[in-house]
Amino acid sequence: SFSTPEEAAAERRRRKRRLRVEPPLSSAQRSQQQAQQVAPPRPIQNPNSPKLPEPVTALSGNRLNLHNKILKLIRENDLEEAALYTRHSVYSNCRPTIYTVNAVLNAQLRQSKYADLLSLHRFITLAGIAPNVITHNLIFQTYLDCKKPDTALEHYKQFINESPVSPSPTTYRILVKGLVDNGKLENAMEMKEEMAEKGLAPDPIVYSFLMFGCAKNGDSDGIFKLFEELKEKKDGILDDGVVYGSLMNGYFMKGMEKEAMECYEEACGENSKLKMSDIAYNYVLDALSKNGKFDEALRLFDSMKNEHNPPRRLAVNLGSFNVIVDGYCAEGKFKEAIDVFRSMRDYRCSPDTLSFNNLIDQLCQNGLLGEAEELCGGMGAEGVSPDEYTYVLLMDACFKVNRIDDGASYFRKMVEAGLRPNLAVYNRLVGELVNAGKVDEAKSFYDTMVKKLKMDDASYKFMMKALSDVGKLDDVLKMVDEMLDEEISDFTEELQEFVKELLSNVGREDELTKLMEEKERLKAEAKAREIEAAEAAKRSAKAAVASLLPSKLFGKKEGESENTIDAPSQGEVPEED
Amino acid sequence: EHVQAEPVPSLIDLTRLCHEGKVKEAIELMGKGVKADANCFLSLFDLIGNPKSLEDAKKVHDYFLQSTCRGDLGLNNKVIEMYAKCASMTDARRVFDHMPDRNMDTWHLMINGYADNGLGDEGLQLFEQMRQLGLKPNEQTFLAVLSACGSAEAIEEGFLHFQSMESEYVISPGAEHYMGLIGVLGKSGHLYEAKEYIEKKLPFEPTAEVWEALRNYARIHGDVDLEDYVEDLMVDLDPSKVDANKIPTPPPKKRNAISMLDGKNRIGEFRNPTLYKDDEKLKALKAMKEGSYVPDTRYVLHDIDQEAKEQALLYHSERLAIAFGLISTPARQTLRIIKNLRVCGDCHNAIKIISRIVGRELIIRDNKRFHHFKDGLCSCGDYW
Amino acid sequence: AAQEFTRMRLDGVEPNHITFVTLLSGCAEFPLKGRDLGSLIHGYVCKLGLDKEDVMVGTALVEMYAKGERVEVAKLVFDLLKVKNSVSWNTMIDGYMRNREYEKAVEVFDEMPEPDVISWTALINGFAKRGFYEEALDWFREMIVCGVEPDYVSIIAVLTACANLGTLSVGLWVHRLVLKQNFRNNVRVNNSLIDMYSRCGCIEFALEVFDKMQKRTLVSWNSIIVGFAVNGFADEALKYFDAMQKEGFKPDGVSFTGALTACSHAGLVGDGLHYFDIMKRVYRISPRIEHFGCIVDLYSRAGKLKEAWKVVQNMPMKPNEVVLGSLLAACRNHGDISLAERIVKNLVALDPSSDSNYVLLSNIYAAVGKWEGASKVRRRMKALGIQKKPGFSSIEINGCVHEFVAGDKSHMEKDCIYATLKLLAFDLMSSGYAPEIVVRELYESD
Repeated sequence: SFSTPEEAAAERRRRKRRLRVEPPLSSAQRSQQQAQQVAPPRPIQNPNSPKLPEPVTALSGNRLNLHNKILKLIRENDLEEAALYTRHSVYSNCRPTIYTVNAVLNAQLRQSKYADLLSLHRFITLAGIAPNVITHNLIFQTYLDCKKPDTALEHYKQFINESPVSPSPTTYRILVKGLVDNGKLENAMEMKEEMAEKGLAPDPIVYSFLMFGCAKNGDSDGIFKLFEELKEKKDGILDDGVVYGSLMNGYFMKGMEKEAMECYEEACGENSKLKMSDIAYNYVLDALSKNGKFDEALRLFDSMKNEHNPPRRLAVNLGSFNVIVDGYCAEGKFKEAIDVFRSMRDYRCSPDTLSFNNLIDQLCQNGLLGEAEELCGGMGAEGVSPDEYTYVLLMDACFKVNRIDDGASYFRKMVEAGLRPNLAVYNRLVGELVNAGKVDEAKSFYDTMVKKLKMDDASYKFMMKALSDVGKLDDVLKMVDEMLDEEISDFTEELQEFVKELLSNVGREDELTKLMEEKERLKAEAKAREIEAAEAAKRSAKAAVASLLPSKLFGKKEGESENTIDAPSQGEVPEED
Repeated sequence: EHVQAEPVPSLIDLTRLCHEGKVKEAIELMGKGVKADANCFLSLFDLIGNPKSLEDAKKVHDYFLQSTCRGDLGLNNKVIEMYAKCASMTDARRVFDHMPDRNMDTWHLMINGYADNGLGDEGLQLFEQMRQLGLKPNEQTFLAVLSACGSAEAIEEGFLHFQSMESEYVISPGAEHYMGLIGVLGKSGHLYEAKEYIEKKLPFEPTAEVWEALRNYARIHGDVDLEDYVEDLMVDLDPSKVDANKIPTPPPKKRNAISMLDGKNRIGEFRNPTLYKDDEKLKALKAMKEGSYVPDTRYVLHDIDQEAKEQALLYHSERLAIAFGLISTPARQTLRIIKNLRVCGDCHNAIKIISRIVGRELIIRDNKRFHHFKDGLCSCGDYW
Repeated sequence: AAQEFTRMRLDGVEPNHITFVTLLSGCAEFPLKGRDLGSLIHGYVCKLGLDKEDVMVGTALVEMYAKGERVEVAKLVFDLLKVKNSVSWNTMIDGYMRNREYEKAVEVFDEMPEPDVISWTALINGFAKRGFYEEALDWFREMIVCGVEPDYVSIIAVLTACANLGTLSVGLWVHRLVLKQNFRNNVRVNNSLIDMYSRCGCIEFALEVFDKMQKRTLVSWNSIIVGFAVNGFADEALKYFDAMQKEGFKPDGVSFTGALTACSHAGLVGDGLHYFDIMKRVYRISPRIEHFGCIVDLYSRAGKLKEAWKVVQNMPMKPNEVVLGSLLAACRNHGDISLAERIVKNLVALDPSSDSNYVLLSNIYAAVGKWEGASKVRRRMKALGIQKKPGFSSIEINGCVHEFVAGDKSHMEKDCIYATLKLLAFDLMSSGYAPEIVVRELYESD
């Protein structure tokens, strides 16, 4: 950290000089004047050289209009068009600013459109639109969400060494949290050090992420160490309660219940001087409910709800409800769990699919299928829709109580909703159906899914075996037939052997060979037909010439009425005589 | 020696033109020898104020330099302001450097001018110079300095200057200074830092104006969630700020970011992406693995081999014309190009794809026929 | 008329100025035959002194000489004229334009005391007819600035210029002028508008003009059919071809050119041959070279090179460059080198100095990897001293036409243009575009 503004300024300028970023005055000035006379400034030639991102002032006039247009598209959730229009604008007289690009990237991240995000990012890099700190943050988040912590670290290294942009505290929060989530606690710890090196103040939130990571690893000493370090760095004065939940966890782990509850008092007691955000509360709430203090957790939850006064004061959030729902379920109090879940709306919190799934899972596991189904039925009213997990939970639960048809109908609903059950789910479904003797139904699911899902040998074998067991060898052959038409590569040699064996049981193994030879022949024929078709076209053209219209009707010679238009390619204006 | 007996045109006419805001006519009149007075100059300097009118600014400034009021401090300040608005800080600086005496306003105008034109660093250097000269900054100075810090993304300096305001110059910061500080964070893209500052450090209850400022920064940086959050707070404080036409934000589809900050993420990723070929994340991972996407700004043109690259950069005239057309017209506008010979096969192929890439209809008339390129296809059906 | 005149002289009847004017314009119409007689009459007129005194006779003389490619003599007569009216001036201007003496025409125009709309039109039309489209536009603009109301002839001339330059914005401006000046119902102006729009690739506007016309002629129909056809809207072209006949118009050769072009564009081999046949049998139109061109194109497009070649060989007239060129292009698409070689031999015989055929042949060799053949062709070109015609492309931005040649670095915005192209190149690569390596060392165009 710097003590005088001069020092800070000198360092900032040194950094930019070191990276050989053009002095801002000359470049900006030139491009602006150019802009007045001819066209807007164009991309800088060498995209590898670091560039300063454009200042906020660039977002004016047409470029601001473009920004607003894109923001509108984002709100309408037409991200494809937003990204496309941004790209198209690069090829126009109104280049998008990095701000507009960031807006699109941010929206793509929100909607998990990772591939689109990376593609747009790559494009703007090529187009010479210099990224700012937000762009980098979004990219870090993307890598970490995609479980690519190493790529994120690589990008970080490059960012620090080569970019004229400085990281923000948010950059480190994203990195530390992402690394912890990806099980890279050590790297996350290093990031904390980096943050201090960059002169950024120690951040309780970053510490809370790290302590959470330690808790996950069962490392209570690590938690205490981090806490002491933070306290020391803050000169003994901590005003943010975000780390207290983890601290309590540490004590609980060591069996130091007294100390843990002292922490609790310090954070949430009447005389607490700590600022407790909703997240800070959730950590505490979680620590309590997981460590046999659910009653205390409920009490805290009540006081949180009282404190909650949205939008000014947010003391509870979706996470708080999830913790309490879990707590109730752990105590076997499912009715209460459902009631708490349903009360969420009163506190301006809205459940997401994930929290629905969580509760449905608990209910299904405990044989409360009816309640689970009811809950699922109410999702639409809450503005969320069930996902694969929801349906699979219900399907599996139905199978457990032998409601095979209902399970199958959940599967069907899922596919009809455009969702994508994976192969394992499909296998479970087909398995259950076959077990229940519903081979035909199983086959119909096979027919639907074989077009969408990439199946493996085992899945094929299972279906074939089931069909052969009920004597439907013709259907087996038909399956092979279709495979040979659609996905030849799927019909592996192993599978071939398998089918042969099935057929040989009833002495029909020749039929497979015959079928395969037939296919070869048909293919050859198709090729021949193609050639023939071409020939036929030629013949029909000739026939057209031959079947000339009798010309007696008009008889007279008409040829002389041509005017002065020549061939169109010569391009004279048609003139009249 | 410059005696003019003719009654027209006179200063009265000039004053009237200035009053009516007719800059061009006023300049013309001055060109005919009419001498403007201080009032005329004052209104002209006020009138000229966008980057397109830099020419006018220079002309009026010329006449001003020939006039008797060229030494007037207030008017010189106005000239600086005018040039700043015309986005020409070089001219403003020249005026500044030649001024025999300056007042605080002069300095403020310069620093603000730099800040507004994205040259915050120059503004901060000027501030340093100002202090070296022993000038004592006042409340206004610090507003300008904060604005410059925002423009230069100099966050740390912003905070240091802010502190020095009270510690060195015994100026207690007003609400506008806090707004300035939030601006430093907001303009630099430190949105969450700005939000935290408002929530935790602000010594007074944040007003609707404070939230509105943050809302605008969120909008600039395209953060929909923050924008919505802040807007809620803002409207709560001042219901008149509600935007009736607001489109509700689509719900996020992020699955794993929900975890610790907002909720508990115990159910991990369910989907097994390897089974559906068009899965988004799979595509992303595949792209990363195959190296067509490297987390590097150095990948530019790397994955094109040298020969192909040269080839791609061999520019036939139609491609040049297209490129020029693209950068000269708004997105998605149709371009019409005329070629005296036939379009070659390679260009034809390239232009087809270009039409899709740039999202435009490209109409090329060569010496044989028309080619309407659209969405990666050509009307000639690839035979020409 | 000449004989009559001789008899008149023999009869002792004194010819008056009207006689001479008639005679002279007779000579002017048939410059070859009238050449000697014209001079004779001139001599006779001189004797009478009519050449200098009588405006009409003098003007007729000027016209005669101008049309007889003796514009210098015309100028002499013109200078000797004591009294000149606007007709004589205009005739002189037109005379110079006719003989491609543009500077002198402009000189005369500048000397003219009060140029009228005919004088302006003489210049504009003169430039437009001879391919100086930009000059035509410039003079038209000047005329409008001078406050002269254009007549329909100048409007048509300027629309021709727009069509050829492809300057849609000027075309639109002229169209507005047309609406303002009440030419909106002038059929010929409207026909020119249709042509202009369709040749600017703006077929929807062309159709609008066509639809709004109260009266249409065969040319209107032809223009819209050809417009659709060349713009690749084959269905529309054929639809209008049929509609035209329903409206009672008998298609002529041009209409069939349109229909055939449409068929070749859409690859409708059968339909094309059908139309070609109807044209010959039903309408008794003997096919012209452009019709054969379409048929060759039709076959080539469908990959039936042999049939196409047969058509070329059996054509009643010698094939031209256009016909052979399209067949040659088909050879490239189908990699048929031996036919290509034969065609080029033919082409070289037609026009030994043409560059494009060599280029095409060379490209064909290269396309199939016969580099030897390719370089041989290029060596031959070099030996023959044939240089490739430079290709250029133009685009109009804000009413201003910008021209580019390959690798052009002269444009003010070259940095931006090349940066954009680089980005485009990258985008192209990632879209799976693979440039044809061969083209680089070859030529821009075939």
